[in-house]
Amino acid sequence: MAASATTRRAAVGASTGVLAVVLSFAFASSTRVAVALSLFLVILIKGMVLLTSAQLRATHPVIARAALTVVVIDVVLFATYFFPANTNSNLAIGAAMSIVLLGLSFLTGASGQISLGNGAFMGVGAFAMAIWANHHATSPIAVGLLVAVVSGAAMGLLLGLPATRLRGPYLAGMTLAFAVAFSAILSSFNSWTGGDSGLQLPTAATPPQWLLNFFGPGTSLLTTNSMWTADIAIFVAGIAFFFMANLFASRTGRAMRLIRDNDVAAELVGVSLPRTRVVAFVVSSAYAALGGSLTTLIDNAVSPSTYSFALSITILSLVVIGGIGTIPGALIGGIIFAYSNSVITWITNQTGLNPQGNLASQLNGIIFGVLLIATMLFAPMGIAGTVRHLRHRRRRRVPG
Amino acid sequence: MITIEHLSVSFGAVQALRDVSMEVATGKITAVLGSNGAGKTTLLRTISGLEEPTTGSIDLDGKSLLRERPENIARLGVGHVPEGRGVIGEFTVEENLRLGAMISTTPLRAGLDEQYERFPVLGERRKQHAAKLSGGERQMLAMARALIARPTVLLLDEPSLGLAPLITAQLMRAIHDLCSTGSLTVILVEQNASSALRIADHAVVLHLGSVVANDTADLVAADEKLRQYYLGMVE
Repeated sequence: MAASATTRRAAVGASTGVLAVVLSFAFASSTRVAVALSLFLVILIKGMVLLTSAQLRATHPVIARAALTVVVIDVVLFATYFFPANTNSNLAIGAAMSIVLLGLSFLTGASGQISLGNGAFMGVGAFAMAIWANHHATSPIAVGLLVAVVSGAAMGLLLGLPATRLRGPYLAGMTLAFAVAFSAILSSFNSWTGGDSGLQLPTAATPPQWLLNFFGPGTSLLTTNSMWTADIAIFVAGIAFFFMANLFASRTGRAMRLIRDNDVAAELVGVSLPRTRVVAFVVSSAYAALGGSLTTLIDNAVSPSTYSFALSITILSLVVIGGIGTIPGALIGGIIFAYSNSVITWITNQTGLNPQGNLASQLNGIIFGVLLIATMLFAPMGIAGTVRHLRHRRRRRVPG
Repeated sequence: MITIEHLSVSFGAVQALRDVSMEVATGKITAVLGSNGAGKTTLLRTISGLEEPTTGSIDLDGKSLLRERPENIARLGVGHVPEGRGVIGEFTVEENLRLGAMISTTPLRAGLDEQYERFPVLGERRKQHAAKLSGGERQMLAMARALIARPTVLLLDEPSLGLAPLITAQLMRAIHDLCSTGSLTVILVEQNASSALRIADHAVVLHLGSVVANDTADLVAADEKLRQYYLGMVE
């Protein structure tokens, strides 16, 4: 029975794939675009075929998660081709921020630690990327991102080691101190960080020549910077979400949740509290740094004022609004962050507020504050947590 | 064998254990009895490394457990089922068991099957969230989680707490069966003295942190004074 279902699914997948390739070549404007379109459709179909297998989801959850990641990246990357520049820009910002939120959501939701310094860790990654790019102008973007991740992880380790002795408000206090001191730290290394004015990237992020050559002159594919940076951010976010989903479900992830719920029980089953807490802290910092480095790439510059203490509070608020300890919650928070500026513009347009005025400049904080209070009142588990709760409740009500 | 000598534990001005000395024989069940505040839980927590003694020593087969971290003591073969059980309600039965298997050297599947065989109800509910289990089932899960790591010593803190008499009797039988091979040593902390004495080989009675009796379970059960004043077993 199961074998016939698998065969049927494989047959449907193969025939749909062949049809997709034929249609791509029939309707695409050039052979190369047809190849790209075929590739998109075949990946999509193959991913969907894998995802519809309940057996695969149960026996090989990592492969199922990989298939989901590939399908989502495939679809969103394809969509960026059709989106206007500002939508792509928002997508890029949202993807970068969702990585940061995912890191904090993991730290708080899985290991039960609170950090008020993830804005500063984001800044570590942002500046590491900019400094690296300024000293190695020809270095590939991937290397810059890797340097940022390593810098964030190293800083996380530095702060995480003493943090293992601290709990609750004391740990929050220590990360708060780091967030507040971060601007001063940046100023102390003027020659590296550019002082108050920050740093510019030597060149804007542009698609590599081989990719441009592939599509040939005259096609608009991948030629806009906003689309390229959006594609990078989405691709990196997809990989980051894939790793985090596996970490959540792994032995380490389970051990962290045990520590969060009952640290005594965790110790008694052989979990090392200090080591596990440091791992959570390092992972969270590395994710924040990765998000920060993507932000530098998107903005083509980095400024110390961006990574103020207020950003750390915004990050924490977004994690709570999206849903602590949930993967979709980080995505929701990222989207809210990305579109907050558009909402402010809409409000100022609708109300006739002076965009340069005092009230308009405070609107960002007001919006997040109202959202946070509303979440606490009506959906304390955050948006994703509440949706999951409602779905579970509805499933319980369905007889059988 | 666990050898405890002159063990004292203080929490500020409060002395929870005072000069406690006892030997726990390998492959036997030793019941630690006493009223609330006698120091029973503190004794188990100190063996597991969760509390630091002010004086005294704890040796497991000649190796000192003092100043070892709890996770290392667990790796040395001491399994501890704490009061309240410590199972994670949002995890399934199997996920809870996998947590216990983290320090096990035996293959996970074999370990799981062994526990499902020992506690069939857990096998039937392996995909269910632990929050949905009854009190007795939760206790079995907590014990199975400790046992999956194949400990040589099992510390059980109030396993009958909140359970119906029938379930308590089943549980005590299960604990008795655990020691039937003679390779597992059990220290059983209980307020339900009569149930514990029924299955124990040896019994230690604590009162305000001091040992007031240390003898075979039969002799402790037969001592009218102990029964009346320290164990609350009034006929």
